[in-house]
Amino acid sequence: MYDMNRVENAVTQNDIKISARKVQVYYGEKHALKDVDVDILDKTVTAFIGPSGCGKSTFLRCINRMNDTIPVARVEGEILLDGEDIHDRRVDPVQLRAKVGMVFQKPNPFPKSIYDNVAYGPRIHGLTRNRADLDEIVEKSLRGAALWNEVKDRLQEPGTGLSGGQQQRLCIARAVATSPEVLLMDEPCSALDPIATAQVEELIDQLRSNFSVVIVTHSMQQAARVSQKTAFFHLGNLVEYGNTEDIFTAPKDSRTEAYISGRIG
Amino acid sequence: MNRDKHIASAFDRDLETIQALVVKMGGMVETAISDAATALENRDEELAEQVRSRDKAIDALEAQINEDAARLIALRAPTATDLRMVLAVLKIASSLERVGDFAKNMAKRTTVLSQMPVINGSGLALRRMSQAVAKMMQDALDSYIRRDAELAQDVRQRDLEVDQMYNALFREFLTHMMEDPRNITACMHLHFIAKNIERMGDHATSVAEQVIYLVTGEMPDEARPKSDSVATAGTMPAEG
Repeated sequence: MYDMNRVENAVTQNDIKISARKVQVYYGEKHALKDVDVDILDKTVTAFIGPSGCGKSTFLRCINRMNDTIPVARVEGEILLDGEDIHDRRVDPVQLRAKVGMVFQKPNPFPKSIYDNVAYGPRIHGLTRNRADLDEIVEKSLRGAALWNEVKDRLQEPGTGLSGGQQQRLCIARAVATSPEVLLMDEPCSALDPIATAQVEELIDQLRSNFSVVIVTHSMQQAARVSQKTAFFHLGNLVEYGNTEDIFTAPKDSRTEAYISGRIG
Repeated sequence: MNRDKHIASAFDRDLETIQALVVKMGGMVETAISDAATALENRDEELAEQVRSRDKAIDALEAQINEDAARLIALRAPTATDLRMVLAVLKIASSLERVGDFAKNMAKRTTVLSQMPVINGSGLALRRMSQAVAKMMQDALDSYIRRDAELAQDVRQRDLEVDQMYNALFREFLTHMMEDPRNITACMHLHFIAKNIERMGDHATSVAEQVIYLVTGEMPDEARPKSDSVATAGTMPAEG
């Protein structure tokens, strides 16, 4: 029998969205990321896993140049987004971050209304001509984040008044409002309960049809559930990168095996 | 293969428990095969009865392994080698349980055969065949305990010999039955016994294949010597 579910879950895209070559990151003297080569696919969820301090968040932060904001951080190597070097002098980091959205570990809505939280990005990037356009983007983004039905009657209430899971989905709505091409998520569910986690995971799966999603997670089960590709980082090295089902059933590297099966690596 | 300890030591204990159950079950099945063969050869009804009654314990072990494996999957979410081990264990236990049933069926037919005249020449061939299968099963279980994919591969290749022995016996029984219809009842029983032993060989092969999957992460490819000339013989009995 042809198994539809299995096909649905497989990697369906081979277009490379982000291509990293020999990426090094130094925090002062510390060599935090060593020689990372990886191709991240479009319309695919890629999970970064590894123990604390392995460099997975560091690498995630390279993709939208968040490390630029850390004075002691130094990034070397090449990261191409759609074939263009993101470190090129002509690239404006603010524009880059509109294309490469980010969702953080703790929900961090602005102390503004639900509406303004989502409208913020489109406003500062001048993506709309009038109020009707903006209304449309806000609704579309909230729908995209599976939050619209819960908040449509109280858009003017503060975003900080929502529950944790709703706040996180608000942050996702805010991130997708600027129509990014890549969505980076740094442990987006670690502060959420299992129901909110399941909602965010369902959302990630839906977002995959529009974006390339990269998620850093400490939950191996979450990586297994949401991603099609998995990268394992250890001590600043990218140890293994492959199809998620291969990584979780028959990893090639003994360090990957030790980590995912809960052994001392 | 990763033989390091888990951070959660209870996980290791769970895996070791399930492992010990499979080894125990394997030992019981090996004994069942050899006792069933000895009972047949010596027309030992008492031993045959023992084989039949001991099958319940084998079935109970399979049930326990299934239960423990389900619990381990639910509570520990095993991955990689651990996952492959649990999957392999489930299939191995299921194969062992079937082999136990075949041995029990041999013993049941032995009780009937003891009341009938001996069919010349078949005893030795059946003994050789059951010895070959008992050795295959023993090696398959050893390859599991030692995580030895090479030995498992060897077991897989040896199934051909058992198939050939079965084909030879099939023709022999057919000849006896054609020569003298009074042999039909005994020969039918003996044929089913031969078929049961041949099926045990298939299950030993299946255990070996699970070991290869467990060690390498991949199922062996289909290319394996096979001999099923009986299936194309003109006097082929209907498949049941």
